[in-house]
Amino acid sequence: MKAIECRDLFAAYDKKLLEKGEAVIRDINFEIKEGSSVAVLGPNGSGKSTLLKTLCGMIPQKGTVLIREKDSAGMSRRDIARNIAYMTQLSGIFFSYTVFETVLMGRYVHSKSAFGRTTAEDKRIADQALKSTGMEELKDRQLSSLSGGELQRVFLARTFAQGSPILMLDEPNNHLDLKVQAELAGYLKDWCAQPEHTLIGVYHDIPLALELADSFILMKDGRMKAMGSREEILDGGLLEETYGFEVRSYLGRIEKLLK
Amino acid sequence: MRVTPAEILAVIANKLFARPLPENVTPSIVSIIWDIRLPRAITAFIVGAMLSVSGAVVQALLQNPLASSYTLGVSSGASLGAALVIVNEISIPVVGTLMLPAAGFVFGLSTVLLVIFFSARLDRNLRNHTIILFGMIVSLFVNGMLTLLSSAYSQHMNRLVLWQMGSFAGRRWDHVGLLAVICFIGCIAVFFFNRELDLMSFGEEQSQAMGVDAKRSRLILLILSSVLTGAAVCFTGVIGFIDLAAPHAVRRIFGSSHKYVLPMSAVAGGSFMTLADLASRTVLSPQEIPVGAVTALLGAPFFLWVYFGTRRKR
Repeated sequence: MKAIECRDLFAAYDKKLLEKGEAVIRDINFEIKEGSSVAVLGPNGSGKSTLLKTLCGMIPQKGTVLIREKDSAGMSRRDIARNIAYMTQLSGIFFSYTVFETVLMGRYVHSKSAFGRTTAEDKRIADQALKSTGMEELKDRQLSSLSGGELQRVFLARTFAQGSPILMLDEPNNHLDLKVQAELAGYLKDWCAQPEHTLIGVYHDIPLALELADSFILMKDGRMKAMGSREEILDGGLLEETYGFEVRSYLGRIEKLLK
Repeated sequence: MRVTPAEILAVIANKLFARPLPENVTPSIVSIIWDIRLPRAITAFIVGAMLSVSGAVVQALLQNPLASSYTLGVSSGASLGAALVIVNEISIPVVGTLMLPAAGFVFGLSTVLLVIFFSARLDRNLRNHTIILFGMIVSLFVNGMLTLLSSAYSQHMNRLVLWQMGSFAGRRWDHVGLLAVICFIGCIAVFFFNRELDLMSFGEEQSQAMGVDAKRSRLILLILSSVLTGAAVCFTGVIGFIDLAAPHAVRRIFGSSHKYVLPMSAVAGGSFMTLADLASRTVLSPQEIPVGAVTALLGAPFFLWVYFGTRRKR
């Protein structure tokens, strides 16, 4: 089964701009198979985050997006959220909830009763999600008392608790120290181990992307430059062309410094 | 006039359960308690509840603990509506004393709709800062017109100023009935959105990612909270600070989850308003202090404490 497919996709943050042909991302075509892990790479402003928002139907767009082989145009926000759990970039916290309350919010999309009471099943899944990000000990803490790394793990747990088969992450390891980055990669690998789970991530950190993903989408100036396996993007200098920079020799230099 | 708690209970028991009155309770005491003080106290409670619930909603929607329905221009709009009625000395026989509140309500609500309409025209995504900015601009503009009116019709200035300061004096049971119905329906409707409010307090994008139809929910909630504030303001004038302070205090005690914040804001705001009205009536008795002055005098230091208290914690 195809997790995501898009055809002739254009998107902009304003409908008028889209109609005038001033799209932020243009002419995107690709397919992502269920169970794969895809990294979206590219320089700043190349349209990576916009691509994720477009796939979730959050901004004005033209073209077709199929989510699990169904046209997303006819889907409600709820339908989309049941299929895609999207973790946005970390934002400010204005009101402090407990860790557990926050993770339970991921279950919103499954709530049925009018006033949205949480069920025992919701609580069990939230507990499970907390465990899979190593946060079960901090369950009753207030968000305002957490470090950036802990906060990011809470949001990851909330995204897991949503229980959607497709996970989209926007620069999940921004602002995190190396140890937390490594832990985060571990939680994501565990999640990907399920054959029906599909991960699509925007990463600035190329080593992390190489570690997590089995295929790669390269974005440049709002267009998709290429999509391929690790070998395909590393051979022939595609990565360097995308970033306009000697990526591998730079990473190689750093590796030498560490020896 | 001094009335003892026992007499109050006796009068209430008499009115509600037809229990016989003790001999020492005269008809004038009955009238003071049942016709004057009780409807006044209940009006104060309901108005306090409506203001704080709508404050809690707008704070979550705009992700801004300093916002309230007043930020969206409800109060300035309502004041302008009331001012137009006062200076033109409009009185329509059938509508009678409801003319002033009706004008206040219509103008208050129209101002919010204007703010939302302008914000949506300029910014299709209806982002928080656009709404706050337009709310402030429209409020300032409307306040300008109000100042112009009150200087042009200075003979009405006294009544205008008194109206704006807010008061519960002279509220009757028919006010209580009308307010109670609006308050009950409005609060229940808002409570239907308690989980959406939790999610939306993390921002539109995150709430959408979790499956909330954020644009629709936000529009419905903005209108509901404006109706609550508009109804409260139009009957009593502009009473500040409760809408900001009550939800804050509640969040500190019960946490941010709206299934607690909404009902507890109603209780806390209502109680605070009733006490403030009591103070306004008794502190300088027989003279009444405007209740808006009491809430501001108590509310401003409280608000500073909340603000700096939160900052220190970070």
